[in-house]
Amino acid sequence: MTALLELEGVSKSFGGLRVIDGLDLAVNEREIVSVIGPNGAGKTTLFNLITGLYHPDAGQIRLEGRNLVGLAPHRITKLGIARTFQTLRLFLNMTVKENVMAAQYGRTKAGPFRSIVRTPGMRREEREIHQRAEEKLAFFGKRLMGYRWDQPAYSLSYANRRRLEIARAMAAEPRILLLDEPAAGMNPVETHEITELIAKLRDDGGYTILVIEHDMHVVEGISDRVTALDHGVKIAEGSFEQVATDPKVIEAYLGIGAAEEEADADAAPA
Amino acid sequence: MSEPERPAAPNASDAAGRPKIGVDEWVASAEERHERSRGLGGLVSRGWEGSPAEAKLIVFVALASTLPFWMNEGELFSYGLYTLLYALLALGLNIVVGFAGLLDLGYVAFYGFGAYGYALFSSNHYGLHWQAEASIPLIVLGTAAVGLILGLASRRLLGDYLAIVTLFFAQAFVAFVNNSNPKVAGEGLTGGPNGIPGVDPLNFFGFKLHSTKQYYFFLLIVFSLAAVGLYFLNNSRTGRAWRALREDPLAAEAMSIPVNRLKILAFMFGAGTAGLTGTIFAAIQTGVVAGNFDVALLITIYAIVILGGLGSIAGVLFGAIVINVSTQFLAPSNDHPELKRWLFYGAILLIAAKIRPWSRTAAVFVGTAAFGFVVHAIASGISSDWTNGTVVDAGSAASAIRNWVIVPSGHTGFQTWAYIVLVAAIVVTSQLKGWWRMAALIPTLYWVAVVWENVLVQQSAVTALILFGVLLIALMQARPQGLLGTARVEIV
Amino acid sequence: MHLPLLNIIDTVRQLGWGGAFELLRNGIVLGSVYALIALGYTMVYGILKLLNFAHGDIYMVGAFLGYGVLSILGGPLAPTIAMVPLILLMFLGGMLGSGVLGVVVERFAYRPLRNAPRIAPLISALGVSFFLANSALLLTHGERFNYAMYQLGGDPNTGLPGPLNQPAFSVAGRPVTVVQVLVVSTSIALMIALTLLVSRTRLGKAMRATSYDREAASMMGIDTDRVIASTFFIGSVLAGAAGVMFGLYIGETYYLMGFLAGLKAFTAAVVGGIGSIPGAMVGGLLIGVTEAYAAGYVGGQWSDVAVFGILILFMLLRPSGLFGAKTIQKV
Repeated sequence: MTALLELEGVSKSFGGLRVIDGLDLAVNEREIVSVIGPNGAGKTTLFNLITGLYHPDAGQIRLEGRNLVGLAPHRITKLGIARTFQTLRLFLNMTVKENVMAAQYGRTKAGPFRSIVRTPGMRREEREIHQRAEEKLAFFGKRLMGYRWDQPAYSLSYANRRRLEIARAMAAEPRILLLDEPAAGMNPVETHEITELIAKLRDDGGYTILVIEHDMHVVEGISDRVTALDHGVKIAEGSFEQVATDPKVIEAYLGIGAAEEEADADAAPA
Repeated sequence: MSEPERPAAPNASDAAGRPKIGVDEWVASAEERHERSRGLGGLVSRGWEGSPAEAKLIVFVALASTLPFWMNEGELFSYGLYTLLYALLALGLNIVVGFAGLLDLGYVAFYGFGAYGYALFSSNHYGLHWQAEASIPLIVLGTAAVGLILGLASRRLLGDYLAIVTLFFAQAFVAFVNNSNPKVAGEGLTGGPNGIPGVDPLNFFGFKLHSTKQYYFFLLIVFSLAAVGLYFLNNSRTGRAWRALREDPLAAEAMSIPVNRLKILAFMFGAGTAGLTGTIFAAIQTGVVAGNFDVALLITIYAIVILGGLGSIAGVLFGAIVINVSTQFLAPSNDHPELKRWLFYGAILLIAAKIRPWSRTAAVFVGTAAFGFVVHAIASGISSDWTNGTVVDAGSAASAIRNWVIVPSGHTGFQTWAYIVLVAAIVVTSQLKGWWRMAALIPTLYWVAVVWENVLVQQSAVTALILFGVLLIALMQARPQGLLGTARVEIV
Repeated sequence: MHLPLLNIIDTVRQLGWGGAFELLRNGIVLGSVYALIALGYTMVYGILKLLNFAHGDIYMVGAFLGYGVLSILGGPLAPTIAMVPLILLMFLGGMLGSGVLGVVVERFAYRPLRNAPRIAPLISALGVSFFLANSALLLTHGERFNYAMYQLGGDPNTGLPGPLNQPAFSVAGRPVTVVQVLVVSTSIALMIALTLLVSRTRLGKAMRATSYDREAASMMGIDTDRVIASTFFIGSVLAGAAGVMFGLYIGETYYLMGFLAGLKAFTAAVVGGIGSIPGAMVGGLLIGVTEAYAAGYVGGQWSDVAVFGILILFMLLRPSGLFGAKTIQKV
């Protein structure tokens, strides 16, 4: 079985700095893969490369065997990859519902002239857009429902903005969701909720999910597989336990020599 | 990101002054707060927001249709026809700047393309007398195509560069039609500085529009159709995509919106609307010259769109009424020259009446009046030639002005210095605080009157342009959303 | 059939090398003026990312101030003081006046909008530009004021040209006049002074820091508001100098002169790479020379179009300009 999303030998440098270096990565259908790594490991750059905001210097990125390199970001989204932003890039002055509806652009067809004269086909499509947007928002329970639909996005709380980012990405109807730190800035209760939500996205929504996350509880709770990056290089891959105990990973997070110390500390009481 | 982020981080620190955006309870109580805005203002604003768009349109069309029955031909031409013409033109700019957020400073060039296009196809210039039903669609498509080309050329450009390229484009257009008059088919194409005279009236299928009234109703229909069309467009997939790219082009691109294509589309729609307005303008004026498409028009149209509120269709109409009526009042051709004085002083009083509390407003007005008499007495005491100048276009207020405002005769350079002092006084007053500001306001207000009577009243058309410039600066600080637009929030 | 290209070749042949030099000379003189204006654009853009539309009009005001000083001191025919101090005072008046105006404009129209949406200061700038141009129209009634530099210091009885208009030296039989030398050398001196200021002084360091990252600079104890005001002051001083230089060289001031000159100078800044000081200088010269050759070989009405063509060309092929750095978009 070929993977849904495949990266092969992808490299990217800025100036002289290699941010991603010969990276291979495969994500299978309906899998949840987490990418972890210290700050500056190249995680967000990886997302930017997959979604076409950056072009790789070398290597291939394939979705179901189709090469994505060189395509414009909106084409890639249309082919089935949608993302959220770590820094939250909502359309702040549009309403909550409009944010979600806007992301349906690639899935709908009515052109400007049909919209001006409001042909029956355009009106039907418009109803569908509303309906689908409401479905996506309903995915978050009561959080984004009711009066909030018509509130501008800037009026949402931080956690709700993160949720709306996910809803908006869902509205692009992708096969793969790329979530960039979905739990950042959330309190423990909200973090727990997001963990459950990601699982539900896969189980009920049928999405394949690639997620960047710092919170190890979240990573542990959701991941089928974990990939660890450091300085743009994949240093470990496997189940959460395998990666979390991998000496290279511990070293990357805690510094050189940390792995042995920890091993010593583990060994000492025994 | 290793630093801890608090859930309400973006707004935690500014609870004092700014809105408590992002706090759930505050959001939930939005409706209540809205209800709380009492008084006439609240009533009007609620009534406005509560009524559906169709109702607004019907009320507007009904009111506008009465104009020809109580205005004479000349008034209908300058107040009715021109307001609609400006409104239609501003509607197109609103697509580009308001919906898509692109600063297009070459907009009037498209208007010029439309006007010149119509003048070439339907005039004696080439002896072509095309019917409007053939020439207008052709010209609108042609102008949109020019917009497409300019859009393609600047497709990689961000806001500022786009502004400069389009501004330069407009300049090149005016320079081209004005200076170079290339021979095409044995005749200079643009007529050079003389322009193209003798343009046909609009002629649809043999039915010629010939009276101001007919043009007025024709424009009313065209404007209403365009407004309805744009309203629908704004509430469609395309409109949402435009708003999204105005908010955040990168996020829009990542959400499957082809940003470049939509920018160019906005450009084309704007250009097409401008081209359409241009054809009507050429027919109304029965001629075109390059001077019609200068920067002054650009600023006027921007003032309309920004005063009304970027992105608001009703705002465009409102802005067009305010701006055009003031332009016409201040125009040298105005039949009632004393009206411009009332408009000017009225506007000044209206602005000054923003001072609170009322007692202070009254104190400032009384103070200004008293200050004027004192200054006048001193000036005439020094020498009578400080106060015996001619008051221009005074009408019934002449004697009051003569005894209050100093209007010197024979002091060359007074006008220049008076104006510079006024600008300096306004700058200084605006920087002062509290009582000092009140104190500085009194001589400043008086000096406004002095400058008006000595300088501005004689060149009221230029005054209008200066005031539009000031309006743009002031609006950006006091109310960037304009009168009818929605306030926007940017969290950086 | 009428072939414009053949015409151009004919004109080139007719004018010969001497003519080519003359055009180059005119272009360099004009280009020095553009370069000085372009510096103001590029500095403000570098530090605020703001396209200061009003900059061209500040240059216009500078030209008028120079004229004002000249007429207060007796006018070109009967100056009450000697030539050299007169010209120095004209420069001083134009530069200081423009500089103060620039600071006032910044304080009044841009500073309150520091954290506003991107489009707000642009529209405010448009308003300032329009306000200044039309105020000049109001006060001058649209008249063209003449520095009459041909006469400046000349003999009113014989009508002999003043010392400014005497040839300083000649190349290929074509004269280069004193005023042309004066314009080019003054602008070179000002550019050197600016370069030293930016690279050597504390203020220059603060300016560079602020342009990299305003927030970080203010956290490092730099008073960014003051730095920005200083930038406006310096940029406007240069524009004022350019205005007086233009008045001395061409001899005419007009309320609309700032608009087109501003556009061309901004083009120069873009061509050189916006934010780059040497770029603005090179861009200014390139635009000036292009304009002169287009006017000389193709026809005066095409010079604007030629400059516009260069702008479009750079936008399409090299939007970062000659000296500009490619920026990485942060996501």
